[in-house]
Amino acid sequence: MLAIGVGFLVAMGAFARDAAAYTAAGDRLFAATVVLPQISPGDEFYLWGSTQPFAGGNWLTEFNGTYMKTITENLGIVMQDTWTRFTQSGGAKPLYGWLNFDTELKYLAVNDQAHEFLLSFGLDHEWGGTGAARAGAFASGATTPRLYFGKGLGDLDIGYLRPLAITGLLGYQIADKTPRPDLVTPGFVVEYSIPYLQSKVESLPLPEVIRSLTPMTEVSFTVPAGKSFGARTNILICPGISYAGQGYEFLVEALVPASKATAAGTGVVAMVHFSLDYLFPDTIGRPLFSQR
Amino acid sequence: MPRGICPRKLPAWLAATALLVLVPGAALAAPGGTVVGLFGGCFIESGGGRSAAKIGQSVAVGDTVEVPTDGKLKLRLSDGSVVSVAAGTRMTLTTVGVDSGGQRQDVHLSLAQGLLRAVVAPVERPASFEVDTAVGTAAVRSTDWFVEGSATAMQVGVLSGSVEMTSAATKRHETIPARWGARLEAGRDPVPPRVWSKAEFDAVIARTDVK
Repeated sequence: MLAIGVGFLVAMGAFARDAAAYTAAGDRLFAATVVLPQISPGDEFYLWGSTQPFAGGNWLTEFNGTYMKTITENLGIVMQDTWTRFTQSGGAKPLYGWLNFDTELKYLAVNDQAHEFLLSFGLDHEWGGTGAARAGAFASGATTPRLYFGKGLGDLDIGYLRPLAITGLLGYQIADKTPRPDLVTPGFVVEYSIPYLQSKVESLPLPEVIRSLTPMTEVSFTVPAGKSFGARTNILICPGISYAGQGYEFLVEALVPASKATAAGTGVVAMVHFSLDYLFPDTIGRPLFSQR
Repeated sequence: MPRGICPRKLPAWLAATALLVLVPGAALAAPGGTVVGLFGGCFIESGGGRSAAKIGQSVAVGDTVEVPTDGKLKLRLSDGSVVSVAAGTRMTLTTVGVDSGGQRQDVHLSLAQGLLRAVVAPVERPASFEVDTAVGTAAVRSTDWFVEGSATAMQVGVLSGSVEMTSAATKRHETIPARWGARLEAGRDPVPPRVWSKAEFDAVIARTDVK
């Protein structure tokens, strides 16, 4: 049973979802995301937890912690790890433990404030063998170059649609060794920022709590490239809502599988995110090498 | 007759008292600050008159500082705060209240148009330092910051400390920490703050740099 469970986890192509946080282009603040990684470097700390049913009455529960640190204004590093527990039906022992430690170097290349447009490059590395094999962590690592973008529609003359924004990424995960498969990992987010509506389009008499919300949907793909070694295409659609306070955000999303291989049913994920650069602007929130 | 007043000086006392009562401007003409930096032809509007600003000139509460598009001006307020006024700015010293020790009690500036940099003197107890614009208010305690205003928008950038920017229309406010900035457009909520780039700070520093 243990071998079946681990094989199941591995075949799913590993679950280590990156967490994400807000970033800004001019007056556009892109809300935190939880399924897809964020689109630019920052000084942030966040935690998320998720749970989702899988075939055969099994459940996968995960908890993630991520710390992001800017080195310069445009360059930063991301460090994260995920604890996972795979509860099996039929009285079998649950499989649990840490997944592999993951780091990413991220560079903000373009920040066009007038057009609310961002473009970043990332180089992610999963450190093979640092996690628990019984929990599905690979013995070998993987490297993923990524291209990120964010575009707000606030510069277009489209009235109440100006609060819309689209962010996304395209990644290609290259396994260090076989039998781990290479993966194409694209994704995108569509969001409608009510804070943007209130501050840039029209201040409507909305209740206080509504003014801080951003409804959003993340869509994530994981597609085997070349020899799959049992991995299959995963598509996850995650509608949810983000609440932004001063220096923190709270996000809840449904995890809706769009392919049989992804999951057996809808799960849920929740994240709390702290902007260290807002809360501690003179200490841990500053870039290591700041020009100011 | 009040004790200690010489009868021969009574007419002068009465005249002075009448002046303070009948001419409100005379009572309000409290010292607000001093011009300590000047570039180009700047003006001080006071009591309906307008005169060219000079280094060392006193600026009273109620006076308006007018800096043309080719000028810059720096004021040291009575509480020790330093306000650098960029080109194309019109600002009025609405209130400059200090106690007997020179500590700020209440400072209000009114920014009709243009850009200010304010290095606000620290005080030991709560005391307000506020800049009003057409669309909102920015309030601080002790900080180095910029505020730019017009009839339709304002923006605040903070080098150190923090600033609270409040919309005049919706009363919503945002707290802006060091290295961050935010905008406010007329009739709306403040835009959530964000980190300002070095280029953005360099631009407002250059505009308010009075040698």
